[in-house]
Amino acid sequence: MNMMEEAASQLERDHVHSVYDKIAPYFNDSRYKAWPKVQQFLLNLQPGSIVADIGCGNGKYLHINKEVFKMGCDVCRPLVDFAWSQGHEVQMCDGLHLPYRDGCFDALLSIAVIHHLSTKERRIRAIKEMARTLRVGGRIMIYVWAMEQKRRKFEKQDIFVPWNPNPQSPTDREPAKPRKRATAQSVSEAIDNADKHRKVRSTSSVADEEELTCTTPQQSTQRLWFFSRSLDSVFDFGSLSISRSSSRDLSTLSSPTGENERNKSSHWGRGRGLIKQVSSFFSPTSVIGSEEDVFDSVTNLHKGQNAPGGNNNSPENQSVSVSLAQECGSLALPDLVPFQKEHLKQSSDESEGGLQGKEQHESTKSSQGSERQVEGSCLRYYHVFREGELAELIENHVDELLVKHTYFDHANWCVVAEKVQICKI
Amino acid sequence: MKLLTHNMLTSHVKGVTKGYPLLIKATEVKVNEVDFNPQFVSRMIPKLEWSALVQAADELGHRQDLPVELVPEYEKNEEFLKKVHRVLLEVEVIEGCLRCPESGREFPISRGIPNMLLNDDEV
Repeated sequence: MNMMEEAASQLERDHVHSVYDKIAPYFNDSRYKAWPKVQQFLLNLQPGSIVADIGCGNGKYLHINKEVFKMGCDVCRPLVDFAWSQGHEVQMCDGLHLPYRDGCFDALLSIAVIHHLSTKERRIRAIKEMARTLRVGGRIMIYVWAMEQKRRKFEKQDIFVPWNPNPQSPTDREPAKPRKRATAQSVSEAIDNADKHRKVRSTSSVADEEELTCTTPQQSTQRLWFFSRSLDSVFDFGSLSISRSSSRDLSTLSSPTGENERNKSSHWGRGRGLIKQVSSFFSPTSVIGSEEDVFDSVTNLHKGQNAPGGNNNSPENQSVSVSLAQECGSLALPDLVPFQKEHLKQSSDESEGGLQGKEQHESTKSSQGSERQVEGSCLRYYHVFREGELAELIENHVDELLVKHTYFDHANWCVVAEKVQICKI
Repeated sequence: MKLLTHNMLTSHVKGVTKGYPLLIKATEVKVNEVDFNPQFVSRMIPKLEWSALVQAADELGHRQDLPVELVPEYEKNEEFLKKVHRVLLEVEVIEGCLRCPESGREFPISRGIPNMLLNDDEV
């Protein structure tokens, strides 16, 4: 696995997989309803079709249409366990390596899944993998979060969204479906938790959109998210550009372009150490201190976002954690961290060594204390899609799929594509 | 895991070319009652790798008299469809593992769920 792959993998482990593992119990009650258009897609299938829901979560689409055979898969064990308890055929697997033979499915769903993949290349691979398992003439429906939402537009495409288990306004709340078969201990626990958290909203796209656009004051700090650079731009050594900013912390981590060139070749030889730095820096929990700091710094961040130039000049009493949190909002700096390490080694009079040391300490501390409360630290990574981006991705990179429909559905960009025969001459 | 599902599953360990069908080692098997829908079964059959189904049913000791080859005009043969229905949808592996026929890699099945996640060195 190359460096970028490792970093992407690590980011997704920290900010997708482990978060869903923690928040899974909250999902299991009210999200009974399926998106109508997804429901219609399933209902329109030929009887006797075989359909797979790739990234099925708690299996909310797997009960639709008794005439077709459905299976689902996901990386999140607690969610898959719940889906099984509802009587569905499910497996554990990862969307980049599907354990299904070529062309075995008549249809596929990928609903709010690939936006959790942190590089363009991985998103393409996931689509190609799904296309591989689709038979010629079969169709896939893909939903991803839109950058352009009804009431707000995300300013950047790569974001970390905090999980909010206690939303203010209750929406639809269906009772949990009765268990269809005997459950193992962990599943029973999940359902018990679901009962206890009956008021909790789970995170379907509708709930998410409301979560994000809610304007109640109490929620204003909780609905903020961290912007980040994409991993793609981070690892684009070819067109590396260091952002100049007036922020004190930013300047401590930058290095002149000359350094970059010299360091470039040596970095490809770097192994785990670099990945750890990159990933730990990417993890917002590693740069923010206590839970209180999250919301304090996020509030500052939010104000800072609208300031001209988007730079956050820190007040003088900055602790490292808060100032780094502000950096998280303006720019995550994993591309600068590795160069800075080299720079540190080479330069003897590094005045910022202290800062770097402290940052390292913060990272180590919080990665060990990552089993903190669910509420504060669950930040999910999303790459939200621009209009046309998903269709372009398929048109330009996935020859075996032909885009048939694209549309906007609530907060999502949606594509339906058909598997086509590729003629190799 | 039902055998209809198993029929779709393959080993995806890097470098493996003959990862299908996965061999089943079951330590716990259940047989459920599932509503019989002859059209449904009839439509599934062309999508199956028939020999893999027979082999899997055999491994579980539930083959009974399922034929090695598909009978002609099975669409109208209710008796045959019932046998297929039973093997595809009623027999379920709760605990055990799936073994890659080429690499020997075992994918565990626990609580009815096959875990097909690969390790970093297998991708």
